[in-house]
Amino acid sequence: MSNDSFHQGAKEGFVRFLPLSIGLIPWALVTGVAMRSAGFSVLEAMGMNVIVFAGTAQLGTLPLIVVGAPMWLILVTALALNLRFVIFSAAIAPAFEGVPWWQRIFSGYLLTDGVFAACSPRMLTSNDKDWRLGYYLAPSLWSWVLWQVLALVGVLGATALPTTWSLEFMASIALMVLLVPFVVSRPMLAAAITAGTIAVALASLPLRLGLIAAIFAGIGAGFAAERWTQSTLPKERIE
Amino acid sequence: MNDQLMHSGVWLWLAFVLVALATHFPRASFIVAGGRVKLPAGLQRALRYAPAAALAALIVPDIVLVGGGLEPVNPKLFATIAVFVVATRWRNPWLPFIVGMAVLWSAQALLA
Repeated sequence: MSNDSFHQGAKEGFVRFLPLSIGLIPWALVTGVAMRSAGFSVLEAMGMNVIVFAGTAQLGTLPLIVVGAPMWLILVTALALNLRFVIFSAAIAPAFEGVPWWQRIFSGYLLTDGVFAACSPRMLTSNDKDWRLGYYLAPSLWSWVLWQVLALVGVLGATALPTTWSLEFMASIALMVLLVPFVVSRPMLAAAITAGTIAVALASLPLRLGLIAAIFAGIGAGFAAERWTQSTLPKERIE
Repeated sequence: MNDQLMHSGVWLWLAFVLVALATHFPRASFIVAGGRVKLPAGLQRALRYAPAAALAALIVPDIVLVGGGLEPVNPKLFATIAVFVVATRWRNPWLPFIVGMAVLWSAQALLA
C-alpha cells in the first residue's frame, strides 16, 4: 500500500468534507438529548450511539423502543429507514475494488449520507485505490468522532434541561429536516403524503403496526406515481 | 420517561444490536460484496421511496395527534410549517431547530 497517496487522499477528503460536517453538530446534539429524554442511562445512550452510528435509525426507532414495541417491528422500521444505504453502498462499491475485506467491513460501518454525497463522485473517477481509501476514511472517521463527542454533550446536557421545554420535539424537527430533501419530486411527495396519512389513520392499531402498513403504502404510492408520471413521457423512457 | 413500559436492560441492548444490524447490513452490503452482486433495477427504484415513507409515517402522527385524538391545529403544527419553510429555503443546519422551537414555544404560550 502506498502511504503517500493514502495520506494525500486523506488530506483532500478531509478538506472537502470539513465545512459540510458542521451540519452533523445539531443532529448529534439532538440525538444525544433525545436518547436521554427517552430514559436511557448515559452508558445505554452512548452504547447505542457507538454500535448503531446512524442518526435517522436512532431517532426513528427511539419512539418504538420507548413503548417496548416488538423486536420485529423495531427491525423492520430500522431496515426501512436504512434501505437508502443499500443504494449508496451499491453506488460507491466500485471505489473499494482491491481493498481488503476487513477494511471494507470497517468502511461499510462508517458509511454516512454526508460522506457519500460529498466524496463518492471523486472516488469513482480516481484510479488510485490508496488515494480513494484515504479520501473516504479521513472524512468518515472525522464524522464518527464529531458524532460521538457531540452526542455525549447532548446526553450529559439533557438532564440539565427542564422537561417543560418540550425538547423532545427537537427529534421531530431533525426527522423533518431529513425528510425535506427527499420530497422534491412528485413521486417522493406522494410516498410521504400517503405514508403520513395512513400512519395517522391507523395510529390506534396496537404496537404501532400502522407504521409498517404506512411505510409499505408509501412505497407503493411513490412507485405508482412514478409509473403514472412516466406514462406521460415518450415511450422509450418506460421500462 | 416510562420505566415500566421500557423493558429490562437486556431487552434494550438487544434492540440496539438489532437496529445496528439493520443499519450495517445495508451499509456494508455492496461495499463488502464488491462487483459480484447486482440489485434488480425495479427493486432499486421501489426502495428509493422507503426512507421518505418511513420518515413521514413517523413524523405526521406525532404532529396531528394529541393524546390519541386527531387535533391538527396545535402548537406543533405551526412549528412544523416553520421548520419546512426554513429547511427548504436556507441551508443553515441550526436554523430549523432554532426557528422550530421558537415557534413551538410562542404557539404554546399564545394558545395556553
